[in-house]
Amino acid sequence: MSDDTLLDRLQRKADGRNIDTRAGILEGEGAQQRVKDPEPVRHGMDVLPTVPSRSGPDSEGAPSYYGMPVLKEPLWIWTVPAYFYVGGVAGAASVLGVSMEYLGGRRLERLAGRCHAVATAGDIVSAGLLIHDLGRPSRFLNMLRVFRPTSPMSVGSWVLAGSGAVNTAAFVLRRMPGVLGVMGRTAGMVGAVLGLPLAGYTAVLVSNTAVPLWQQVGRTLPLFFMASATASAGSLLSLFPHTDAEERVLRRFRVAGKVAEVFTREAVELEARQVVEVGKPLRTGVSGALWTLSRTCSLAGLVMDVLPGRARWKQVTADVLSTVGAVAARYAVIQAGRASARNPQATFQGQRQGLGAAQVEGNTKASDGKPLSFPLPVLGQPQAGMPYARFMVTQPEP
Amino acid sequence: MGGRKGFFTDTTLCIGCKACEVACKQWNQLPDDGFHFTGMSYDQTAHLGASTWRHVAFVERPVPLQGQMSGAGDFSWLMMSDVCKHCQRAGCLEACPTGAIVRTEFDTVYVQPDVCNGCGYCVSACPFGVIDRREDDGRAWKCTLCYDRIGDDQTPACAKACPTASIQYGDLDELHARAESRVRDLHQRGVTDAYLYGKDAENQPGTGGLNAFFLLLDKPEVYNLPPDPVVPTKKALRSWASVAMGAVGMVAVALGAVSFGREGRG
Repeated sequence: MSDDTLLDRLQRKADGRNIDTRAGILEGEGAQQRVKDPEPVRHGMDVLPTVPSRSGPDSEGAPSYYGMPVLKEPLWIWTVPAYFYVGGVAGAASVLGVSMEYLGGRRLERLAGRCHAVATAGDIVSAGLLIHDLGRPSRFLNMLRVFRPTSPMSVGSWVLAGSGAVNTAAFVLRRMPGVLGVMGRTAGMVGAVLGLPLAGYTAVLVSNTAVPLWQQVGRTLPLFFMASATASAGSLLSLFPHTDAEERVLRRFRVAGKVAEVFTREAVELEARQVVEVGKPLRTGVSGALWTLSRTCSLAGLVMDVLPGRARWKQVTADVLSTVGAVAARYAVIQAGRASARNPQATFQGQRQGLGAAQVEGNTKASDGKPLSFPLPVLGQPQAGMPYARFMVTQPEP
Repeated sequence: MGGRKGFFTDTTLCIGCKACEVACKQWNQLPDDGFHFTGMSYDQTAHLGASTWRHVAFVERPVPLQGQMSGAGDFSWLMMSDVCKHCQRAGCLEACPTGAIVRTEFDTVYVQPDVCNGCGYCVSACPFGVIDRREDDGRAWKCTLCYDRIGDDQTPACAKACPTASIQYGDLDELHARAESRVRDLHQRGVTDAYLYGKDAENQPGTGGLNAFFLLLDKPEVYNLPPDPVVPTKKALRSWASVAMGAVGMVAVALGAVSFGREGRG
């Protein structure tokens, strides 16, 4: 600026900031953030009645920083677990559709078409749900800005976008004659290949986080989600009116899915229960209630389905129960993950029991030099007034 | 310029003055978090967040400091200025689906605000709970290690403002040497509890070492640090293997249902 004095120039040199102090323009890293409410609702904790921090000899076993969570809670809104269900249905439906197209013959042609329709609709609804979570459509396109194999969210965005494109092409072109028809059927095949990861990657998405519960169930959750997707797609397709020939295929598909769902759910529970504090949210609170509801509905749906007698009302009830079970399971997993992220002991105890980096790296010492292989000592009865009383129950469940 | 830069935070020198918190807010022009008391200690910030990139923890212990006589009975304070760790293998960076989080020429981890999508996946991927999304602008924010300052060969605001040299900034190799000699010194003086948290890959294999590492006097849990953190990506392969298994199962079920169901036996 022409009217700069020597003093101005010297000051600017010493200051070093990228701002024109006279204009008062904020250009620091966080300058675009705004104070929304200068006096926000107080989210601090209540004043503790006792000596607040317990570390050292008095609480050798389970110290924490005033019970504050280590991790940030996951931020996803209700549309994400809904997407886990819808995406699973779409993936499984496209797989079933293509199997029928190639093996089913003429009698199953109508059902194959319906599978493609469900898969296409599912992909579109899924994209809508994700966009609602992100805020605006352009942000979904932004997800396709790079491809990053280490990020299941990036992989999943590409799978969803690709599967939506090819399933739509298959839905439109499948019945057309000539080259277009061949292209449509090829697109259907690609859709089925993409449908497999679409049904399962959402489990990798949640287990590839620091949230203790989700990280803990990384091996079994994908199996559970895929079994549940099979059961959900079978149940949803069975709710539409269909012929006897179609029922024979659908019945085998959905019953196999429901049986697998029941077994893999137990596997998820077992894997979560390795660390007491990590498995807890699946048994207590809102998440525990949802998980129990989901288990009950899925079991009831399976039992109703295999009971003798083929009345239509029975089958509809069974399918509705299975659907409720599958949806509730997704919400339970998300909710339980939130609860486990809030509990610092879920993070600490898992890592102290050798389930942090030790599980993949084989290191035997924690960062304070203490060996990791020993579980935390089981403390005596927590006394009322002890600040960590609620985290101190380390007795394994019977 | 360039080269690997980082922080060495020596908590034995921290006096809890919060100058680093204020300097960080001021330089980066971060908004305030509201004025409220947490009621647990002198720590009114409570945790790192989108608008708090330095946070001083106050640990009140019912034991005296090692090798010290306290006039007030069995009691001592530990203070630690917490910050983004700028991990060698950063969970947030590996999880980011848009490429908004990058590694800079100084080996630090930087979130580009103009690219961030606000999907919130990095928030759950950080094993230290550092990065956070702001409700109002929907983007993720965290310590930049004053990327704009170190590019001009200046010290980050927090380290510049620290009156006791508890926060030290510099080349990583130099910081490692300094930290090791400090630990040796403390051990010689009888403070055998002192140890380094997250110095390198050997020290913390789960993250490959931290560019912002700490000298601590008690268990990591006491300072709200995880004892054996791991970048979640290291465990992702087993989940993908499960997906592959599930895919085989799903194809088998679909093919089986069609081929056994079509004949009309049943």
